[in-house]
Amino acid sequence: MTTYKEIFGKYVKNYSSDPTADIEGQIWYNSTSGTFKTNLAGAAAWASGGNLGTARYLLAGCGIQTAGLAFTGYTTTNQSATEEYDGSAWTAGGNIGTARRALAGAGTQTAGLGFGGYTTANSAATEEYDGSAWTVGGNLGTARIYLAGCGTQTAGLGFGGLTTVNLSATEEYDGSAWTTGGSLNTARRSLAGCGLQTVALAFGGFITGSSNATEEYDGSAWTAGGNLGTARRALAGAGTQTAGLGFGGTTGTVTAATEEYDGTSWTTSTSMATARRNLAGAGTQTAGLGFGGFTTTQVNNTEEYTDPSFSTKTITTS
Amino acid sequence: MALFIYGTATNTGKGFFTAEDRRNFFLRGYPGNVWVVGNTEKGALWLAEKNGVEKTKAEAQAIVNAEVTAAQAAWDALPEEQKNRPGSNQRPTAITLP
Repeated sequence: MTTYKEIFGKYVKNYSSDPTADIEGQIWYNSTSGTFKTNLAGAAAWASGGNLGTARYLLAGCGIQTAGLAFTGYTTTNQSATEEYDGSAWTAGGNIGTARRALAGAGTQTAGLGFGGYTTANSAATEEYDGSAWTVGGNLGTARIYLAGCGTQTAGLGFGGLTTVNLSATEEYDGSAWTTGGSLNTARRSLAGCGLQTVALAFGGFITGSSNATEEYDGSAWTAGGNLGTARRALAGAGTQTAGLGFGGTTGTVTAATEEYDGTSWTTSTSMATARRNLAGAGTQTAGLGFGGFTTTQVNNTEEYTDPSFSTKTITTS
Repeated sequence: MALFIYGTATNTGKGFFTAEDRRNFFLRGYPGNVWVVGNTEKGALWLAEKNGVEKTKAEAQAIVNAEVTAAQAAWDALPEEQKNRPGSNQRPTAITLP
């Protein structure tokens, strides 16, 4: 009988537990389960996560898939509630000082940043979260709603939005004060963002209609990136400038469309299970988090995105 | 054979549908807790395991339509100033199930 080594010139390795999946097509024997296994290219998918305690839309979020933060938003009134996600369930955190909606978020679950939005008027208020309570930070230079944000609590970025007109203005936060950054080339509102203060991504939004425009920030200026496949507004973003994730929103009709950015162009990925707009996002391109939003009403559903490079499969004869 | 199964089920959160479910069969959620599931053995099993109530396509569409109608009525009842405010929500549009 021909052996594997005779065909490939190598023996099959014997492991007691599955090795890190980093080579497509690698075959090994798992001595614990008594099975041969291999790595296949992974397929991205959205799965349900724990439901938010308060269904809401126009909320903000930050953090990662296993340590997410949801705060503020709108039901029939502005919300101040904060919720913390541990990868399976949301629990109540400290309320934000200024209840509002349509703001932006940045940072992590234990070092979060919320800024801008709408109270009974456009807000410039910034607040910082430490994992249990919000404290007042420096005000934005321009009070605005429907802006996007990214970065960290001590190196945040706010861009775009709406006063009475669409904005291109960018502001940079240093942990205490906002200063002017380079302006977006296309003024817009209801856009999404991801990345860091010096390597940021802005995409989608509303100009006079839904936009597919993407712009990349280098810490001082925005330059054009590849267009989204689906022009939309009120979407959410996650990830980095070279590994971005855009999902949900509305084209006029709510969408579940998900796209991945590689630093040059967007590629269509698997859709969310529930189309929605004005949701919040967090996490990375390979482990994203989408929560809240509006379908025909505000929702509390969370979805978790995974895009594994590889998935481990047991080899069978069937 | 029909491409989809229609039903209602309450999204209970984590584990309600998994990444593996999404890879194994078509699954979309709609207003009114309506779910459209690929008409496969795994899809049917998923709906049954979630205590789903199977509906005809017409019944499922009627549930979604009622949700859209209610949302449109709520939007219509808003003050004109609020409707016309820049950035305000658009009137909800009809949703057609696949």
